Amino acid sequence: MKNRLTMLAPLVLIPMLGLTACAGGETAGAADAPAEKTLTVYTSEPQAKIDQIVEAFEKANAGVNVEVFRAATGELKTRIAAEKESGKISADVILAADVPTFEAYAADGSLAKLDIENDTALDAKFVDADGFWVGTRIIPTIIAYNTGALSEGPASWASLTEDTYKGKIAMPNPDVSGAAAFNTAVWLQESALGKGWMEKLVANEPTVLESNGPVGQAVAAGSSEVGIVVDYVARELAAKGSPIAVGYPSDGVPYVSQPAGVFADSQNQEAGNDFVDFLISQEGQKLAVEQSYLPVREDAGVPEGAPALSEINLLDPDQEEIAAGQKKAVDFFNSLLK
Amino acid sequence: MSTHTLDKAAVAQKAATDRASSAGCDTAAPKPPRRGGRPGDGLSVLRTVVWVLMALVVGLPLAALVFQGVQPAARQVFGDPAVAVAAINSVASALGSALLATLAGAVLAVLLERCNIPSRNVLRWLVLLPFLIPPFIGAMSWMALLGANGPVNKALQGLGIDAKLSIFGGWGVVFLLAVHSYPMAYLVIAATLRRIPGNLEEAARISGAGTSQVLGTVLLPLLRPGLLAAFVLTLVANLSDFGIPALIGLPERYTTLTTLVYRYLASSTTSNPLPAVAAIGLLLLVLAVLVVLAQRKLPADTQLGSGPVGQRLSLGGVRIPLTVLLWVSTIIICLVPLFALASQALLPAPGVPLTWENLSMENIVRVATSAGAISGIENSLRLAGGAAVCCTVLGLGIALLLTRGKHRSNTALDVSATLPQALPGLVIAVGWLLIAPMLGIFNTPWVILGAYVMAFLALVVQSVRAPLASVSSTLEEAARSSGASPLRALLDVTTRLAAPAALTGGVVVLLTAVRELTISILLVAPGTQTLGVSIFNLQQAGDYGGASALALLVAMAGILGLSATAALANRRANN
Repeated sequence: MKNRLTMLAPLVLIPMLGLTACAGGETAGAADAPAEKTLTVYTSEPQAKIDQIVEAFEKANAGVNVEVFRAATGELKTRIAAEKESGKISADVILAADVPTFEAYAADGSLAKLDIENDTALDAKFVDADGFWVGTRIIPTIIAYNTGALSEGPASWASLTEDTYKGKIAMPNPDVSGAAAFNTAVWLQESALGKGWMEKLVANEPTVLESNGPVGQAVAAGSSEVGIVVDYVARELAAKGSPIAVGYPSDGVPYVSQPAGVFADSQNQEAGNDFVDFLISQEGQKLAVEQSYLPVREDAGVPEGAPALSEINLLDPDQEEIAAGQKKAVDFFNSLLK
Repeated sequence: MSTHTLDKAAVAQKAATDRASSAGCDTAAPKPPRRGGRPGDGLSVLRTVVWVLMALVVGLPLAALVFQGVQPAARQVFGDPAVAVAAINSVASALGSALLATLAGAVLAVLLERCNIPSRNVLRWLVLLPFLIPPFIGAMSWMALLGANGPVNKALQGLGIDAKLSIFGGWGVVFLLAVHSYPMAYLVIAATLRRIPGNLEEAARISGAGTSQVLGTVLLPLLRPGLLAAFVLTLVANLSDFGIPALIGLPERYTTLTTLVYRYLASSTTSNPLPAVAAIGLLLLVLAVLVVLAQRKLPADTQLGSGPVGQRLSLGGVRIPLTVLLWVSTIIICLVPLFALASQALLPAPGVPLTWENLSMENIVRVATSAGAISGIENSLRLAGGAAVCCTVLGLGIALLLTRGKHRSNTALDVSATLPQALPGLVIAVGWLLIAPMLGIFNTPWVILGAYVMAFLALVVQSVRAPLASVSSTLEEAARSSGASPLRALLDVTTRLAAPAALTGGVVVLLTAVRELTISILLVAPGTQTLGVSIFNLQQAGDYGGASALALLVAMAGILGLSATAALANRRANN
């Protein structure tokens, strides 16, 4: 009997080996450098951009290994909600979305107070007065157009409702894109736009694509002549040679500040704060400018082809009102689509 | 392009035909002497180990799904009209595409296997190309080809035609599902065709039948079980695909159950989408089981005596026109989209004109060296490798029990090993999502590994079982009479006989799992992003250049890897 059992060993052991081989990657990594900490970051940054940020941060902070989970803001929020339900949030840092989202997380105790230094170098409107989050880049939503199809783009949000643009507009889905959800609330609160404008916009049959990236692609490829899209997506495509140009609407430019914060559940508060601090440091902001973002610091320069902040009519609505009205605004938009 | 080229997916084909002759090999195999079953016998230890593993890998996720799916909170989801619409879309697109795929597969099988079409061997390899490319990459290729300002619409515009072709929407989903499943139908039907002995056709000919009469009165009726098997296989596969409906259907708000579940999990308005997801998973499970049961009720296979395959049918005057038509449609469906994908990967940005000077390796270099893609490749290789090893060992154990031991639990073992292959990937993913917190593996790579093993186990079982069943058990009897215990004979002799087939099965698991999307996208967690998810994310985030560059690399690796595996397996089978 004993003999028979030993012969069975390979059958049982090999699957076990297979299993441990799978986990081997992580444990081996940890064994090489016992002091190494793993920092998990949830972000909606494009993959290539967050990869560069992580590389620069890891270079400056030896011993911290950053693991990134990238998804659209809507997906991140669902994941965080599900994790909260099942116990604790498994990320240390969140870098995504818009102020209302962070205000909600701060209010329900999900965020820890930040312990950082660079926030004093920023304009106060990009820093949470209660110290839970800090804005990391300015992402305005603008009107892009295909230069092959149009010689001049729509000058304002109001002009998008004109008949000439019927069926030619692409825009991101507010269920998926955090910036789009935010914009929907801002448009509704602007007295010059509001519900009437949004009804007319939807009556112009816009193509609702998943997120800002595909909107930029659609305008650049010419499948939509006009796109409501965050400005860096359009500027980057233009820099690579796509026939796309950027127009900052005269009736006001809504923007999100892609805030960053550290979760209260995090076991890595120190490294988490270091990461957030790095994002708004001069080095971090210079990297942001290289990545075509408008920076939150004045000493980091401006990306090529972008206007100075002072030239843009940025809309600064009351964030609490936006936070309160965002879900309703998105529901209203979705009800128009049906 | 040797003469063996067709049998590229030899294993898949065996798998498919095995499933068609669902009764299993116990009856078909030369009857082994009774062994096993005695308490304390080594075989029963093996049987126990296998059953414990099966209970964990297959039983537990399905039980969790059924349990969660019948809870009152879960049932509420059926009141949602969106679910009804998605269910109708799923069934309709799967039915439509399975019909198209079976039709195309049958026509191709008859033309390429039984007619005197010139250049058959090259054509066989070409028509199987969509099988070697993951469906979501196929969808990306067609998006590139039929983009509003893509090559086709530019050409139409150039010809002064005002109509624009678009791949998006329900019809696009049906068409692309058919494109990616007809090779499977072709393989199943071709295998049935090869088993139809020529003497029946000869009899028809002697009685004065022409080519069309031989086709209509002899071949087609005998093919019916093969056609049915092909239809069911493609139906179930298409019921569960995620990539095509997500990329092609969603932009036009055409939702299927798979994309609906993804939506629930990815950006749901409720904080706990699991009950709803479990209910939808259960609905799909019931649908798949009904389809499988219905197929088992029908005549499983044409039982025919062996004999030489009939001579090639002469197509006469339509031979050349048919050949030209076949070449043109094959190039359009199998090759042109790949070129569109390649051009998208090689152009630096959308809207840049396609000229030689504008082509650059920028996208390919960028994604091939990016941290996200590299970790995706590593994760996929690790998970697929782990799944291949686990499936090979467990699958070998199951196949041994099924072919070399008579036991009352064999039918149940057969069903539990092969059922998951008939289940939509979505059902498997949801099952694992539900048991992950119980097992303490939530948000870890183990969930994906477990789901992969469950999904792909049947590939190994089927690739081992057929060859093992056809080898008589005389060698083991020799070992037994020389004094070896049943288990020893099994391990020393039978395992060695079956090892090559098991390895081939394992390689197929590796190559299938490494580019998997449906399961991984639903189970992804921080640090476990797979290659398929990496590509899907790049595409969704609008980096079409980067996504197609990575997709192009995967498509190339898949074509080369699977072609090579099949050629090797084929050579071994012929030796």
